[in-house]
Amino acid sequence: MAQAHRTPQPRTAPSQPRVFKLVLLGSGSVGKSSLALRYVKNDFKSILPTVGCAFFTKVVDVGAASLKLEIWDTAGQEKYHSICHLYFRGANAALLVYDITRKDSFLKAQQWLKDLEEELHPGEVLVMLVGNKTDLSQEREVTFQEGKEFADSQKLLFMETSAKLNHQVSEVFNTMAQELLQRDDREGQAPRGDAAVALNEGPARQAKCCAH
Amino acid sequence: MSLKSERRGIHVDQSDLLCKKGCGYYGNPAWQGFCSKCWREEYHKARQKQIQEDWELAERLQREEEEAFASSQSSQGAQSLTFSKFEEKKTNEKTRKVTTVKKFFSASSRVGSKKAEIQEAKAPSPSINRQTSIETDRVSKEFIEFLKTFHKTGQEIYKQTKLFLEGMHYKRDLSIEEQSECAQDFYHNVAERMQTRGKVPPERVEKIMDQIEKYIMTRLYKYVFCPETTDDEKKDLAIQKRIRALRWVTPQMLCVPVNEDIPEVSDMVVKAITDIIEMDSKRVPRDKLACITKCSKHIFNAIKITKNEPASADDFLPTLIYIVLKGNPPRLQSNIQYITRFCNPSRLMTGEDGYYFTNLCCAVAFIEKLDAQSLNLSQEDFDRYMSGQTSPRKQEAESWSPDACLGVKQMYKNLDLLSQLNERQERIMNEAKKLEKDLIDWTDGIAREVQDIVEKYPLEIKPPNQPLAAIDSENIENDKLPPPLQPQVYAG
Repeated sequence: MAQAHRTPQPRTAPSQPRVFKLVLLGSGSVGKSSLALRYVKNDFKSILPTVGCAFFTKVVDVGAASLKLEIWDTAGQEKYHSICHLYFRGANAALLVYDITRKDSFLKAQQWLKDLEEELHPGEVLVMLVGNKTDLSQEREVTFQEGKEFADSQKLLFMETSAKLNHQVSEVFNTMAQELLQRDDREGQAPRGDAAVALNEGPARQAKCCAH
Repeated sequence: MSLKSERRGIHVDQSDLLCKKGCGYYGNPAWQGFCSKCWREEYHKARQKQIQEDWELAERLQREEEEAFASSQSSQGAQSLTFSKFEEKKTNEKTRKVTTVKKFFSASSRVGSKKAEIQEAKAPSPSINRQTSIETDRVSKEFIEFLKTFHKTGQEIYKQTKLFLEGMHYKRDLSIEEQSECAQDFYHNVAERMQTRGKVPPERVEKIMDQIEKYIMTRLYKYVFCPETTDDEKKDLAIQKRIRALRWVTPQMLCVPVNEDIPEVSDMVVKAITDIIEMDSKRVPRDKLACITKCSKHIFNAIKITKNEPASADDFLPTLIYIVLKGNPPRLQSNIQYITRFCNPSRLMTGEDGYYFTNLCCAVAFIEKLDAQSLNLSQEDFDRYMSGQTSPRKQEAESWSPDACLGVKQMYKNLDLLSQLNERQERIMNEAKKLEKDLIDWTDGIAREVQDIVEKYPLEIKPPNQPLAAIDSENIENDKLPPPLQPQVYAG
């Protein structure tokens, strides 16, 4: 966590990994923090980090290149919804997290998407819809198909995860990292359509490079 | 979509937040309702013109000053050789400065001798000299020492920084937003030049930028913090009043996962409050950010001790709101505005400091908007608490003292004890009186009963009817007794 202080602004420097800001959005207790914690520490409530788990940085290697993901957790309670747009500023990516056992959290994620689009330029931010808690699939209220269809209609990336079982967690972040790098490399092109293409490639194959 | 209307209900003021130019981005009151992009465009032309005028003014002033020097020189008549040399050097310095001003904008990299630069540093131009204080002196010395390690680049940076400060001196009449723009442009240009021309590695650029920020903001602080031309002060007072009006808010209402009964936790809370209050005493935006970060770390620790698991953002934001409500930090809005305007922008959008700063902005925004619903209260209760008619303290023994210090808490506890004691004493007095009455009643009762009995069975003491000798005098059965034995005489 110490190097978090020195996040360089210039994106032009080749020696330093580029920094991307990723915002975690979603209702309360859908597992935003757990996802991030699982990814960064590869840990699910077994070892406690030194400080809170609301802000993380992680250097991700994608092939030869590497980038630094800066993960911003946000408060999900309904009452903070109206002020959360302050977190969006300067964000490169957003994870819209919902709980597959709670329909309301899925609807809420759709609302977050609207907020994001109002605050940021379309295509400016890379968005992935994440259905969490697949370990509780017997209580499922939102089907995989539902999530996928919504994500496709909005040209979002989509994945289902379980932070508890560490299922697909690093895949989520690695896909994001890879997509961010790709976008960054061919800046100027329409990045939106490409995001949807990457979705079809399936993220699991890209995950191996930085599972640890 | 159906969601649309639902959303609208939450964001009533959405359209008010958008950029005035209608580009679809959000506007910011600090940018007069424009978004950052439009604001930049809008003020670019005006600023260019202003800069041009400034340089003209600067050159004119310097000419005048030189003339004044020249005339004083001639009026002194016989000047010493050293003095004229000093004058000469001074004039040289000035002319060189003018050329470097131009070079700064033509982006050439002229490098003077290191020694001359350091000398220049020791004799700063009068315009800057006027505002020196012990602290600014110390910071300048540190800055020069720091730059010495960078040799040529250091000299170049020093020159640019000084020129910027001189420029800012003439821009004091401009609006604070324009001054902020100048500072942001300066940060941007210096960083870019260092990287492209100086080939300084990025992590060193960061370090140098921090030092530059420290140096220039220590000097500019006085003029650009809470300036009179803005309504920052009004906003400060408004939020202060608002927080004071909300002093009755308890941790329970905000769902703060912090248990202040644990000594360690309450210690952390106190530290966090101290840090957030300390922010006001710092001059450099980055130092202010560091205070916010320190405060946040204490909050995380407090939550961690209470919950025994690391805090997430869901826990952190309410606690930060609670800390701000409890601490009521001085000049909160001014500080936020100052940081927004004069901090290196990369620090605010990204990085850990930026994250915590964003959270603080969220906390302030929440406090401004806070209503009954966000505290899970009924509107009536909320209004009553806000008007100060009642406080929610009675519901729970501990809930009445969220905003009190240890002494006051103790006082409340003692008062509570005293009132309990009072109650008990009264009860005892009542009981005692009752007992007394009972006793009296009882005595009376007994007396009455005795009286009754006495009356019912009056005591008649009859005199003894006959003497003992006559005990059998009236014995009726005497008759049945055989006659008493008669004495018989025997003649014999």
